[in-house]
Amino acid sequence: MTERFVMLAPLALPLLILLPLAWAALAFVLGAGRGSRLAIAAAAVQLVLAFALAAAVMDGGPLHHAAGGWGAPLGIDLVADGLAAAMLLLTQAVALPLFIFARGYFHQDGAHPDAAGHHFWPLAGFLVAGMNALYLSEDIFNLYVTLELVGLAAVGLVASGGGAAQTAAALRYLFAALLGSGAYLLGVALLYGAFGSVSMVTLTPLIASASASAGAEAAEVALIAALLMVAGLLMKSALFPFHFWLPPAHGGAPAPVSALLSALVVKASIYLVLRLWLGPLAPLLTPLAWLPTLLGAAAILWGSWQAIHAERLKLLVAYSTVAQLGYLFLALPLVGVGSTGASASAIVTLQALAHGLAKAAMFAAAGIIIHATGRDRVDDVAGIAERLPLTLFTFALAGVSLMGLPPSGGFLAKWLLIDLAMARGHWPLAAVILAGGLLAAIYIFRVLRLAFLNLPEAMIEAEHHKARVVPRSAEWMAFALAAASVLLGLFGGLPLLQLVDGVGAGTP
Amino acid sequence: MKRLAVLTAAAAFAALLIGALLDLPAATLDLRPLLAEAMPVSGVAHPVTAVLLNTRGYDTLLEIAVLLVALLGVVVASARADVTGDPGRTLAPPVATSADPMVSALARLVTPLAVIFAIYVLWAGAHRPGGAFQAAAILAAALVLLHFARIVPACAAPSRGLRIAAVAGFAIFLAIAALPLAGGALLQYPPAAAGLLILAIESGLTVSLALVLAGLFLLLADDPGGRR
Repeated sequence: MTERFVMLAPLALPLLILLPLAWAALAFVLGAGRGSRLAIAAAAVQLVLAFALAAAVMDGGPLHHAAGGWGAPLGIDLVADGLAAAMLLLTQAVALPLFIFARGYFHQDGAHPDAAGHHFWPLAGFLVAGMNALYLSEDIFNLYVTLELVGLAAVGLVASGGGAAQTAAALRYLFAALLGSGAYLLGVALLYGAFGSVSMVTLTPLIASASASAGAEAAEVALIAALLMVAGLLMKSALFPFHFWLPPAHGGAPAPVSALLSALVVKASIYLVLRLWLGPLAPLLTPLAWLPTLLGAAAILWGSWQAIHAERLKLLVAYSTVAQLGYLFLALPLVGVGSTGASASAIVTLQALAHGLAKAAMFAAAGIIIHATGRDRVDDVAGIAERLPLTLFTFALAGVSLMGLPPSGGFLAKWLLIDLAMARGHWPLAAVILAGGLLAAIYIFRVLRLAFLNLPEAMIEAEHHKARVVPRSAEWMAFALAAASVLLGLFGGLPLLQLVDGVGAGTP
Repeated sequence: MKRLAVLTAAAAFAALLIGALLDLPAATLDLRPLLAEAMPVSGVAHPVTAVLLNTRGYDTLLEIAVLLVALLGVVVASARADVTGDPGRTLAPPVATSADPMVSALARLVTPLAVIFAIYVLWAGAHRPGGAFQAAAILAAALVLLHFARIVPACAAPSRGLRIAAVAGFAIFLAIAALPLAGGALLQYPPAAAGLLILAIESGLTVSLALVLAGLFLLLADDPGGRR
């Protein structure tokens, strides 16, 4: 069984890109609202492929695939290392339950899908294909193409919500995304002009030697390029103060879309920042490592503060994303190995996975609650505990991971991060992480406290009457995501850290 | 005041960029000799086409997907709340029943020429500047002209036939990309068949991209009576 798994792995690189492209195109041909079964079946196959890939990378180290058979620098290489394999696993593991959730969410009235779901399936397919391609690419121009694929598909998904507010949010998102990828592309053009290659493997030694020789013209251009690329990606990653587009876009979209965007899409550009910062651009950017960290700390405090004061439930969850993304930038100055042996990038990956699973669950739960109450206000959650116990439990479980309570994945990531910060003597970072957890507890308990309020009997009757029902399968899928986020801390955390750090690679 | 600050910042950035570019040394690495070496097995004689469809064909595959997503985005944006009919319908030509006779005459004259020219540009791509993107742009322009001449109607959403035609080129490309996986890498054409496969991909793309590009315009042009 395991052997067959590993044999499948080299093919998993191209298949994880081609398969979603194929079903997205097919779903487009099938037409409005169709293609959900196809998407779910394909997502299940993709999840198996991602597991096979992670297992093979864990056993034998990174896998390569030269598209076209040329190899870099002439061709484009696909590379799956531990970090890429972990992110691919997150993407497929969130996509499958979310697709089943979306099928229930959009098809509540049987045959007639909700208008908001008309274009969900093809757009979601292209989105997943773009993210998978992004995680696997080793070529900075090819990465630009994948960024555009992800960005445009995400904008389309936000706009599919239908109303004027959604269209406005989608347009704002489009402008932010285009500005971000435009800056990135300008940086790529400068690097190509200076060094004549767009392959990361080829560029890394060239940039290192250019920046080592003081006063080289190429080094100056490379620094401008590096700043442009990172600034563009930070815009797409919604790092404070570039977060302005995120709350309306994520808070206004249909629940399955919000969940996909918050759990996965923002992680893609953050992954790229990490990859470039620790890879080819490291000699240029290392002195600046504290800048994103300071912004990340500000994001944690500001995002949590906004979440505490949000009036709409989905806006609360969206601001919580702004805060949780901040943690991913705290580790940049901590590169190296801490007392526990896990590297900063492995801990960041664990936080990304824990947040991705928890946030997908929380947006899905918020969507179910909003469907049931008919209104998107935090105050309307009152009394929901009695009507939707499973969904409320899902919301609370996801909250446990966001707050960083044991034994969740969020706890493990934050604890390791504090440990690493203390080992380096950066206690203010530890303080920010603790404060962030406390603030998260305030906004989560704000919802939970209301949910357990006892409403008068008559009011419950009235509420029951107008309740629209979301299928049971959708509720269970949201629960599965939340449970996965908690179980990640118990069972998945250590293997994941080993996968990213390459511990055990090469040993049979 | 705010505008002045933005303008100053933009000008300073432009000056910095120009300054850095003016004395940029020659690139450390030159890919041209590498590409020249690869040309004999690339299946085409023009280096740009070789890069677009062979050495970096994977980029192009994803770019076609980006164009399809853009089309989907326009479909989403043009699907208005007040349109309740079935998604495949087409609208009658709006307002005026007959077009300007000059436009009609021009469209009837230009369209056959555009088709011939597009086929030539597609064929020429193998050995000189040209190829699927340019050919598709010419065909799309002809379609838009036909729309102005009230011969091609705008539509609220593409019908199934149109969707199949718009995706076909991408599907052919995807299939040709996936086939070599049986024994090699993604998009690794056997050198003997490379020319033929690239022609097949480009022919499919010409038709599909023409529809996608024209669709970006015609879907938004659907505005009967200026209801918006």
